[in-house]
Amino acid sequence: MADGEERRGLLDEDESEPAIPSLPGSRHDPASRRPMSAITDPSTLLHRIVVLVFMCFLGFGSYFCYDNPAALQTQILQDMQLNTSKFMQLYAWYSWPNVILCFLGGFLIDRVFGIRLGTVIFSLFVCGGQVIFATGALLNMFWLMEFGRFVFGIGGESLAVAQNTYAVSWFKGKELNLVFGLQLSMARLGSTVNMNIMGWIYSRIQGLVGFPGYTTLGITLMIGSATCIFSLICALILGFLDKRAERILNKEQGKTGEVIKLTDVKDFSLSLWLIFIICVGYYVAVFPFIGLGQVFFIEKFNFSPGEARAINSIVYIISAPASPVLGFLVDRTGKNIIWMLFAVLSTLAAHMMLAFTFWNPWIAMSLLGVSYSLLACALWPMVAFVVPEHQLGTAYGFMQSIQNLGLALISIAAGSILDSSGYLFLEVFFCACVSLALIAVVMLYLVDFLRGGELNLSASARGKLQKISDAE
Amino acid sequence: TMAAARLCAVLLPLCASVAAVRGLFRGGTGDYRRQVSMELNPGANGSVGLDLLHVRAVGPGDTLHWVLGSQGPPALLLVHTDSPNSSLTVDWPRLLSRNSSGSLKVEPQSSVRYASALLFRRIWEYDDTNDTADPTHAPPSSFLPPYELDQFSWDDLNRTLNRSSLSAQLCGRPSSSSSASADTFQNGSLCLEFSAFDSWGRSSAWPRLLHSANTSQLRVLIKGVAVRSNHSRLVLELAAVVPRDQPSRVDTLHSIDDEYSPTIFQVCQWVTLSPGSSSAALGFSQWKPVGYRSEKLLTEFATPARHSAPEPRPAPARPSLARAFFGEQLGEGYQVSGLNLTFGIAGEPFYNSTQYLSWTVLVGVGSPPWDSFSVLVLSIMAVALGTPALLLLLGGVCVCVKRKGRAPPQYEPIN
Repeated sequence: MADGEERRGLLDEDESEPAIPSLPGSRHDPASRRPMSAITDPSTLLHRIVVLVFMCFLGFGSYFCYDNPAALQTQILQDMQLNTSKFMQLYAWYSWPNVILCFLGGFLIDRVFGIRLGTVIFSLFVCGGQVIFATGALLNMFWLMEFGRFVFGIGGESLAVAQNTYAVSWFKGKELNLVFGLQLSMARLGSTVNMNIMGWIYSRIQGLVGFPGYTTLGITLMIGSATCIFSLICALILGFLDKRAERILNKEQGKTGEVIKLTDVKDFSLSLWLIFIICVGYYVAVFPFIGLGQVFFIEKFNFSPGEARAINSIVYIISAPASPVLGFLVDRTGKNIIWMLFAVLSTLAAHMMLAFTFWNPWIAMSLLGVSYSLLACALWPMVAFVVPEHQLGTAYGFMQSIQNLGLALISIAAGSILDSSGYLFLEVFFCACVSLALIAVVMLYLVDFLRGGELNLSASARGKLQKISDAE
Repeated sequence: TMAAARLCAVLLPLCASVAAVRGLFRGGTGDYRRQVSMELNPGANGSVGLDLLHVRAVGPGDTLHWVLGSQGPPALLLVHTDSPNSSLTVDWPRLLSRNSSGSLKVEPQSSVRYASALLFRRIWEYDDTNDTADPTHAPPSSFLPPYELDQFSWDDLNRTLNRSSLSAQLCGRPSSSSSASADTFQNGSLCLEFSAFDSWGRSSAWPRLLHSANTSQLRVLIKGVAVRSNHSRLVLELAAVVPRDQPSRVDTLHSIDDEYSPTIFQVCQWVTLSPGSSSAALGFSQWKPVGYRSEKLLTEFATPARHSAPEPRPAPARPSLARAFFGEQLGEGYQVSGLNLTFGIAGEPFYNSTQYLSWTVLVGVGSPPWDSFSVLVLSIMAVALGTPALLLLLGGVCVCVKRKGRAPPQYEPIN
């Protein structure tokens, strides 16, 4: 009803302004603030846009370097003399620390380090991990490369949590979705640039250096770590600006607000467990596939390495503009489960096209990109519909934790399946994973429908329900 | 008879569908079996200085004669007759003389439907200092003197003959009388592993070609050769004896199934077509364009094998198995057509890294066998697609039933 909406609107506006205690005569009295230029005044939009720029580039380095192995797959396989299952260990080692850190990230930021120090520490881990990774290649020591990926993993996901916390702290309110969308697009931009540029850098280095392959690889990865150093500088600048804003506006340090209580796990409903299964079953058929995609396109479709890398990055390129658009669509229409059903079915279709036909793979990969974005927009908000607010932190932490566990295990499995049985069998395996997600989606719909649940409401129905519950 | 006709009309489609399903699993080669027998040096008295392996595969209405011999360039001879009682006769004195033509005969001669031979002539070695793996554009100076396979001395075939597994291995190295390339083969050898088959199946070593009773398989193994430079790559020169008037060509076909030869999505077939038809094949050689640099079944050891277009080549000069069988026909009704197989691609390790190279070829009559999905793949896809479909169907029914059963709401909420 109109009343409820207006009331909520007012509340929102109140929350979006930073809290300013107006104790007369104190140092923090707003009246005693020196007049500043617009760009240096933390409460103005211009300054916040500057902060937004730094916030977006904070995650750029981490996403750029995450997919370095996929971009340089043939080079790594050749120079380090690996088979595919050892190559996929590079992805598995990134995921292993995050099985546990997903629970600890919020705690570390809120209680132990604080957002500013925490961001800098995680950026250091990202930087250090990438440098160790590159050093391992320079010295031809694969175990060092795996260790580097492990250190990189410790920093990578937690840095994403820190980035989100900064966003909430600076942009709470109506701008938040836009900021999240921008951050995601920057992340995808980082992945895309990585896919398309690293191979070119490698070939230029190879022209300059006449040394054996692993040296060229190491130098290329070191150049890649420059993006991480850039992100570290952004983290330091953000910390400085945040501390300055706190001093000037007397704003509190941002907190994740997550409360993780592992005992809440036993209260998770069947719908939530089905959502977890969908998450695991779906993402293990996307990320390891992209990791192994380059050689697949070279061998099966006779693409050149540059073309293969380009088509591998199309999922990220599409997801950058598609995520906000599809998010808007899902928000307006509701019916999340139906959108998830479309997404999973089209991913299954894409994998079957790649497995059983020689049709132009651009079609299948574009379909994969759209459905990947659609699923992300429909799946993650559903957790909030199923779980009470005080358990939300635990639920998201658990979801990311088993997602990382699944990715770690399936990355290794995918590598060894490829080595022993080839690409067709690998694609059939991915089809089976997506089919598991599909079964879970159908069951989620049925469970929800039979229990009279509210997961698949249209947006208007959900809005009405919200008003009713607010009025009560 | 009416009842019999009706019974046939019912049973035939049933049998056809059963056969089709079985054919789907067995790559269309059917359940054809043959009786296979092997004999070494048929009709010879005592040791004759060279080995001749004769394999006779008898089917219900025809016979396949395989002859593996090392006189001249090692060759595999295939003769297809339409009589289950045909036999091979060898005129040993004539075979061992200078003019051996006509010393190998398949009796009765009128029953011979198709004959061909696959010869292994030379192994070329070139110094790939620029690492391009492209011998067609390599300077002539980078080519080292080739290993002439007709100047090799071969080990005793009797020691490697295995009648239970229907296989034999012909191994050799340059004889002392050949050119200066003899010392590189000190501890190494070129081996031709021959396997005959009595029914369909798949070997265990990659690329695991599907074989049937109409085929036999040859595996070329170049092992332990101390090549003459650190950047050496090898090229295998093959030749086939094909009918002069019937067209033959090498096709490279795409296959979506790489289960048995991971990352290889192509099949090469050198087919001799039957006259007047562009699709029915009389005989073939089939291979996957890949060689392997190690015995271990790992994809990192796969090396691409590219073939050149077949061109007419001169017939082997010295006494050879091909000349022994085809005799004067070798210049008239039949011609020798050769191609080069290049192993390796730019950036790959050279032969010296593992000192091992293997390549497999399947030779047979009729149309080449075509791979199909394994039972495991088909069953996974059936379950992966069937279960959600079933769930969707059941769920849809459930939802419809529930929707119909729900009483329409009597009261609308006031606010």
